[in-house]
Amino acid sequence: MEEQKVQDPNNDPQSKDEILNTISSSSSSNSTQQQQKELVEEEELKRLLVPDVRDLPLTPSSAVETNFVPYFAPDFIKTGHDQYVYRHANGLCVIGLAPTHLAFKDDGGVTAVDFNVGKSDRSGIKVTGKRKKNAQHFASNTALCKVCTKDTSYIVRCCVKGSLLEVNDMLITQPGLLNSAADREGYIAIIMPKPDDWLKAKSLLVGADEYKKLRELF
Amino acid sequence: MENETEAAAQVINGQVEAHVISAAEDESKLVRDAVRKLPSHAVKELLSMGVCIRCIFRLIGVSECIYSCTSLSTSALSTALEKGMCLEGDMMDNGLRIQEDSNSQHSSEEPELEPNLCRICLGILQFTYHDGKEMLMKSDCANEFALLIAKVVKQEGHQIDSFSLEVSIPSRVMENEQAVWLYMKRKYNSELWFPEQLHSEFISAKDVLKLSITNPLETLLDIKSSLSSAFRIRLTYTDSAVKIKVQKSTEMKECNKRRKTGADDMDTIGGCVAAGTDHSNSCTGEEYVGRSCNGLHNHDFPDLSQFQLEKVSEPCRLTFLCHRNPVYIGGRYLKYSRNVSQTRWIIDDERMGEASVEEIIGSNILPIFHGDNYKFHAAGREDIDVRMLGSGRPFLLEIQNARHVPSEVSIKEMERKVNNLENKLVKVKNVKVVGSQGWNLMREGEAEKQKQYAALVWISRPLEDDDLKTLSSLEDMPILQKTPIRVLHRRSPLEREKIIHWMRIERIAGSSQYCLLHLCTQAGTYVKEFVHGDLGRTHPSVGSLLGCRAEILQLDVTDVKMDCF
Ligand SMILES: [Zn+2]
Repeated sequence: MEEQKVQDPNNDPQSKDEILNTISSSSSSNSTQQQQKELVEEEELKRLLVPDVRDLPLTPSSAVETNFVPYFAPDFIKTGHDQYVYRHANGLCVIGLAPTHLAFKDDGGVTAVDFNVGKSDRSGIKVTGKRKKNAQHFASNTALCKVCTKDTSYIVRCCVKGSLLEVNDMLITQPGLLNSAADREGYIAIIMPKPDDWLKAKSLLVGADEYKKLRELF
Repeated sequence: MENETEAAAQVINGQVEAHVISAAEDESKLVRDAVRKLPSHAVKELLSMGVCIRCIFRLIGVSECIYSCTSLSTSALSTALEKGMCLEGDMMDNGLRIQEDSNSQHSSEEPELEPNLCRICLGILQFTYHDGKEMLMKSDCANEFALLIAKVVKQEGHQIDSFSLEVSIPSRVMENEQAVWLYMKRKYNSELWFPEQLHSEFISAKDVLKLSITNPLETLLDIKSSLSSAFRIRLTYTDSAVKIKVQKSTEMKECNKRRKTGADDMDTIGGCVAAGTDHSNSCTGEEYVGRSCNGLHNHDFPDLSQFQLEKVSEPCRLTFLCHRNPVYIGGRYLKYSRNVSQTRWIIDDERMGEASVEEIIGSNILPIFHGDNYKFHAAGREDIDVRMLGSGRPFLLEIQNARHVPSEVSIKEMERKVNNLENKLVKVKNVKVVGSQGWNLMREGEAEKQKQYAALVWISRPLEDDDLKTLSSLEDMPILQKTPIRVLHRRSPLEREKIIHWMRIERIAGSSQYCLLHLCTQAGTYVKEFVHGDLGRTHPSVGSLLGCRAEILQLDVTDVKMDCF
């Protein structure tokens, strides 16, 4: 069969400039009317943007509170090694130290973080692409890093079986973030579990209420 | 519709008659002159091979103007040819008319039902085909055929001011004519009448068909034909014999193999050419055509007397298609809801949001143009919970196969229809009909342009005047942004630099910790993350700049800076 003629879209008779001209000429046809219209639109925009203060909460919930469901792993592997797992609706898990972790009870808190544990330096792995090439698959008890205090150190573990997407390498230069904002800028790592693995891991974790009850944080 | 068609038929017949009266002399003279110049011995041979008159004309190089003669019916042509040959004198014998009339005469069991199909054009230039319902259709002249096409066009209900005709025919036709032409060249090259043209230069069957029916179609539809017309009438002929050929393919492969071992340079298309033969002597015939198609070994043709064309038992199947190039509507949309997505968004059979911008605009505009379908494109997108206010966002709506042509009235109607919807979720403005390159225009603009936002922000301590200064003093500030956690599951983990062009804090009366943050950013900046910092993964952030915690409660796009629409 012969090829059928297909019109080349670039051959369209109307040029780019022509389009722009028609648009600009028609919009500036009556300038005072245009100015008035703009004024009305500006007023309308302001009305839409400015909220009524009475509708706003005194303290809004934070992005972390809004976007994640918190779970905890109290005494993970060892007594007092309390970790958190913040799970995003998209399935990713942020791993970090719970406020009751032993490290925070040491004098001066955390002084250093070392990702060079196990076979490889966790901060040296560069995960790339939508398919997360190079991501390492870790078990729930695999070590993520070592947090050091003045006198001792603690191993932080995955808690959830899955692919390690990133570790928080800011902790290398700013270990103090763990003391000031362990649930935000002081997070340890982000793990992507498979759905089935997440269900298994979840059954071994506790929710926020149970954690508080357990640690008498009322 | 029937009546209309009949009326149209009368109109065209009337016009044709009138035309004939005024131009009949010219046309018949044209035909007579053309016929007189024909080499009757070659014509006779071609006729006996089963080639139709129009194909003979084009092979022998009769000038193009003859095909557009409106009064030229197949029967009139053969009469003229017969007469012409008689005038020439002694070359005429009974054989000449055999191909046109013999079937109905010598076999009473196969009456006119079975047409004598041209062995080159498969009946296409005899206006003979099978329609979609396997009905055999045959028109004696182009006018009659054009009438059938016009009927289909009118049924579709298109508003049209011009048309372009597209014809697609089976490759077998080209293969046939090439084989015949090479045969003729071999046999008649030395004779004076033989045209000094390459085989690719004689007028194609497609063009003859177009020349034949363009004028009648222009009359019937009362519009002109134009190559650049957005309205296209497409005739697609498909070879009815293809399925039969597939059955024969094993047999043909055998032939091919033998040939390949015989001569290395003949392994190209020979095997697919089914034109050369009756089955009795299939191998020699095919080999002959195979060679001629390759343009090789012209000197060692087999005996010229063996050349035959395969009998065509079934005409091609013809489908008509009327199609208008897409109509593009450009404009800007505003989205007033935090529960409306830009495009239809379904996850696990569940709709996200109560509606989509795409559907609200598309479903209201499509019926105005009576199109088949629409496609919605926008310059970037906002999250479902982000409103699009202010300038609005450029969009392009592509209406496929619109039957109604957009007009000033319909543009106004479109705006009114969308903007007066009861739910007030979406509005449109600056709506225009644009060319198809509005699409490129939007794409180009998208990458480099700036976006302006208004964010409702809360900070973890009372706002101070210094904070306003701190932020407003920053201009074109680069930030480093890791792929936000909320999209990290499906996007590549990357760290990108983005530019925050400017920021301005607007205090909110009655609150010390809430404010409106107006900001202008490079397209592609994740603004929510720039405010709350995304666990420090976007740096700096509003929070880090102010030395406190910053949270974002609401976000609106207030301006999409782009040249188009
Ligand atoms: Zn023909």
